[in-house]
Amino acid sequence: MNLPPSGLAEDILADFKEPKSELHLVTFNIGEEYGVPISQVHEIIRVGNITIVPNSPSYMEGVINLRGKVLPVLNLRKRLKLSERDMSKASRIIVTEVGDKVIGLLVDAVSHVIKVPAGFVETAPEEVLEVDTDYITGVGKLKERLIIMLDLEKLLRREKIEIKAEQQSSRAAGEVY
Amino acid sequence: MEYTELIKDYLDDATGHLNRIDTSLLLLEKNGANKDIIINTLGSLHTFKGNSGMMGFESLKLYIHQVEELLKKVSDNEISLDRVIDGLLNSANVIRGALHEIEKDSAANPDLTENILGLQHLMECPDNGHERQMVDPLSYLGTKTDTIKVDFKKLDDLLNLVGELVIFKTRLNQIETRIRGEVNNKSLSKELNAGLELMGKTISGLQEGIMKARMLPVSHVFSKFPRMVRDLAKMQGKEIQLLFEGEDTELDKTVIDELEEPLLHIIRNAIDHGIESISERIKKGKNRSGRIILSAAQESNYVIIKIIDDGRGINFEKIKEMAIEKGLIKSEDALDKESIISLIFSAGFTTKQQATDISGRGIGLDVVNKNISKLNGHVIADSITEKGTSFTIKLPLSLAIIPALMAETGGEVYAIPMSAVNESVKVKEDDIHIINNHEVIRFREKVLPIVRLSEFFGLGSKKRKKIYLIIVGRAEKRIAIAVDRLRGQQEIVIKPLDETFGKSYGIAGASISGDGRIILIIDILAFWNKKSKK
Repeated sequence: MNLPPSGLAEDILADFKEPKSELHLVTFNIGEEYGVPISQVHEIIRVGNITIVPNSPSYMEGVINLRGKVLPVLNLRKRLKLSERDMSKASRIIVTEVGDKVIGLLVDAVSHVIKVPAGFVETAPEEVLEVDTDYITGVGKLKERLIIMLDLEKLLRREKIEIKAEQQSSRAAGEVY
Repeated sequence: MEYTELIKDYLDDATGHLNRIDTSLLLLEKNGANKDIIINTLGSLHTFKGNSGMMGFESLKLYIHQVEELLKKVSDNEISLDRVIDGLLNSANVIRGALHEIEKDSAANPDLTENILGLQHLMECPDNGHERQMVDPLSYLGTKTDTIKVDFKKLDDLLNLVGELVIFKTRLNQIETRIRGEVNNKSLSKELNAGLELMGKTISGLQEGIMKARMLPVSHVFSKFPRMVRDLAKMQGKEIQLLFEGEDTELDKTVIDELEEPLLHIIRNAIDHGIESISERIKKGKNRSGRIILSAAQESNYVIIKIIDDGRGINFEKIKEMAIEKGLIKSEDALDKESIISLIFSAGFTTKQQATDISGRGIGLDVVNKNISKLNGHVIADSITEKGTSFTIKLPLSLAIIPALMAETGGEVYAIPMSAVNESVKVKEDDIHIINNHEVIRFREKVLPIVRLSEFFGLGSKKRKKIYLIIVGRAEKRIAIAVDRLRGQQEIVIKPLDETFGKSYGIAGASISGDGRIILIIDILAFWNKKSKK
């Protein structure tokens, strides 16, 4: 074991702090492979009966009954303005919790739960990505695979602003007739 | 409230204060003078003094006042604590003795003159001998109380759990029906049925019990108004009596909380615009003082609240003029009384040219209408010129569980709060006419606009020969909502929709049905908003 040059006990102990050295990710597919920290994921469920909420933002898929609670489900493809795809048997809803908000994300398929080293995530090169880099914390390379790290906090915060904008524009449209 | 009940409340409260005072004094004795503790104790003493005075225990009030004065002197460093702490501790016992006396006989009014003199003496020459007040050891226990304070959130959580129980019960009932059809064992399914029935009864009892625990008498809101009425009347040179009827009618606390503002607006309107000045009333041969009656009564699952004044009444001509001016109606429209009155609930409607500082300008009754609708209730007005105006508010007993009409359209089922529904009818498509590009129906001598729910929500729906119309709203504001089929009435548990949906137009919330599906609850108000835009 290498001792840090300072030789101080706290510097030695700092090396043992777990969260710094490893990241636990859930990765899923929506065209590309994406990842979110497992700490933000409650559970992963199959797609059941989704009730459509009329007059809501188009990327809001609807609501489902999650053991007696009404859970909103967001279509991640539509939200990130990717090409749309029909649901399949592999489709899943990832139930996430960010802040005090619990929301389901509809994805094509869930791939893996993986551990990666902390230095794994790098800043995303803007030109190679199909999506808005606003919602991306970075990109990680794992052997041959590229994993795009999604910034859920930002994505959901943006949500509110865009809802307001969308509602205003729909209201303006309503006044025409 | 009965006097004996008031005494009980007072004693409950007093025991609490006394215990706090005792604890603080013991702390002071142990640790010496501490500003924070002294200030807290002074606060308790002050409230306690006020309560005692209000209950008419004059001597006790004066005594507590003396204790307060003494402690203030300590706080101001005029007297050192250790010279009077024995006296202070003793005074707590004197008070305890007095409370004990009141508890034994509610007509008692303990005379503490001697003790007051003793305290005054102590203040002048501290640590001079004072007699120890001996009390019955039992009185240290204080009065026993029948009530406990519970955080409202706990009751809310319990109600949520009961709501889920109601859903699960419906689900079990559905399974039971299937078992009866598929399993050929009569005695077994009979037993299951009996068990479910018993469980159902217990759940209903539980639901009722928790709903009751959340209820408060409407006097909680009513009692906020006498002072306002008095002050406003004085300011405007009017004389107004405010009378209560049925103020012990109970309502869910959440409804009570939301009721304050609408009532405030209506009462303000009655004072500002309804009740005439004294001279005007005398000229009209009316009693010089005006009268506003606030009444509440329960009718099955609803509570009816009325606000009645004996003022000048609504000026129909003026309302019509204003409405024409604002483009709400056309001058050639022939409106009946009911329809004209319903206009006052429109946004931005006010007949008073000059706004008073209380009633403000232009807002008021449309806010009332909106707030009451949010509670799944509705409000109507009635008026007789020169005799007065009345407002009637109909509210469901609870916000959390409401009766609703289930309607199917475009393959989806929606819930419409029963409080908004007037009636429902089955009609042929041929009965629907088109006027001005709008679908309408002739119904009971009136022409009602039709809103097709499937179109409103952008759902596909097959053309049918017969459809169902659900008539909602009142008078000129009635609308027929067209749906494919009715699925009966049901008690539903309301759950709010996540804000991620924004203010989803036309949806008030969600509910979970017995088979686990989510049913959306329709926000009736949206139909008029949409209509007024067209």
